[in-house]
Amino acid sequence: MNSADGSAPWDLFGYFADHRAEVLDLLWAHTWLSVLPVVIGLLVAFPIGWLARRYRWAYPPVVSVSGLLYTIPSLALFVVMPTVLGTQILDPLNVVAALTLYTVALLVRVVADGLAAVPDDAVQAATAMGFTRLQRLRTVELPLAVPVIAAGLRVAMVANVSLVAIAATIGIPQLGQLFITGFQLSVTGPYYPPIVLGIVLCVALALLLDRLIVLGARLVTPWQRVSAAR
Amino acid sequence: MNRRIATALTGGTVLLTALTACGESGSSSAGGGESTPAGGGDTIAADLVLGGPPEFQTRPDGVPGLEEVYGITFGEFRSLDAGGPLTVNALANGQIDAADIFTTDPNIAANDWVVLEDPENLFAAQNVVPLISTEEATDGVAAVLNAVSAELTTEDLIALNEQVIIDRQDPAAVAGQWLAERGLDATGTQAAGTDLTIGSANFPENITLANIYAQALQAQGATVETQLNIGSREVYMPALQDGSIDLIPEYTGVLLEHFDEEATAVSSEEVYAALPEALPENLTVLEQSEAQDKDAIVVTRETAEEYGLTSIADLAEQP
Repeated sequence: MNSADGSAPWDLFGYFADHRAEVLDLLWAHTWLSVLPVVIGLLVAFPIGWLARRYRWAYPPVVSVSGLLYTIPSLALFVVMPTVLGTQILDPLNVVAALTLYTVALLVRVVADGLAAVPDDAVQAATAMGFTRLQRLRTVELPLAVPVIAAGLRVAMVANVSLVAIAATIGIPQLGQLFITGFQLSVTGPYYPPIVLGIVLCVALALLLDRLIVLGARLVTPWQRVSAAR
Repeated sequence: MNRRIATALTGGTVLLTALTACGESGSSSAGGGESTPAGGGDTIAADLVLGGPPEFQTRPDGVPGLEEVYGITFGEFRSLDAGGPLTVNALANGQIDAADIFTTDPNIAANDWVVLEDPENLFAAQNVVPLISTEEATDGVAAVLNAVSAELTTEDLIALNEQVIIDRQDPAAVAGQWLAERGLDATGTQAAGTDLTIGSANFPENITLANIYAQALQAQGATVETQLNIGSREVYMPALQDGSIDLIPEYTGVLLEHFDEEATAVSSEEVYAALPEALPENLTVLEQSEAQDKDAIVVTRETAEEYGLTSIADLAEQP
């Protein structure tokens, strides 16, 4: 239970101690709601980005249309999702679908540009060695595009961690709930603990997920470290 | 390195945007601060700014009702929130002069504000009532919740709200304490074998009430899940109808108005009697409690004294 004056920003520790199970549930929900759309979004954006790279004429329309998706206000998107998908209004799927859309919007261009950044001589060498188009994509172009795609993934991931918070307004529990709770209890004066706790956890989660992408990218591109060491 | 900074910056900006969006969702949804042309001429109301939830501007007992029943039109209407921090703070710091606030709000007493009387009964009775999906309304569940309703009073609501809103105690703990005080925490098997998801609207009183329902049912052997703080009626009502939640604490007057815009019932009995007819078949109300949380037009003590206000009708007079 909180003391009546426990409303300073640093009282977030006390707030966490009092609401531990609840906050950890919110953190977990926030994590998977942030990560899943990035994974699905990458799987969707990759073929689109590849097409935009493969057929040059497709690049301008594909990139501008997918970029436009990002301008749809997130709250509006969350609210219309049940109608579009036929899901129940409290279904977390609504949030996953909306954030996947944003991830696709960010990543299509990144994938296309990443593939375009692959040195032409590497592609030509692979072709000369008799690689099929698919082999070349898998073993040469994709690995060489990883650094650029990973950079885009980091932006998408961090953006998702913060966008998820808005879903609190449509009743999907995650860390954004802490902002709502703090605001509801801010009638007699600001009540910081849940708000600050929410911010701290959001930032920590974003940093952690960002690090994981960096580590993952490094693992699948061992040659980068070799060339850096030389 | 630059890329890393850029990423961090983007993240920070988006986070900030997200936070701002959270805070502003209440005020921006209906074009905050739209002004209503003053039609009443030289009335006190024409000098004053009214604040309330966005839907207050259009709902029958809101701005249109004030004009029809009392013949008053405020100088301006500002779309804020449903008696939440936006409205309370705006009234406290003078950005609005009158507010649609709920009668159980502990801030009214804490700020020595004046609740204007409603002699023409513009606002219908708002008794707390459990709204439940019909198929979950078994005799056992009904018995448990009816026992809760029988004990709950308006004074209880005010006291519960004070503990949660002013003292910032945990709603679940406050709910448990109230049940214990009323001897409703005895364990039993009245509701054994039922499996319910209880929801709540996004304001403290409703969250506390949902906790009371949840704990009372749990004590009587029900398996209970809670999904609290869902949002406004526009969000939780569809959730109740599509089966995402099974039970939510509601208020008779607004509930009736939600399903029957033409409703004219005013007294607790009339409103409650009209409900079964108005509700869709898959929703049922159990017994209502005597506890009421009504809309009220609230002004600060200074405003009340300056214009000599005790009733909403006084607002129609000349300043």
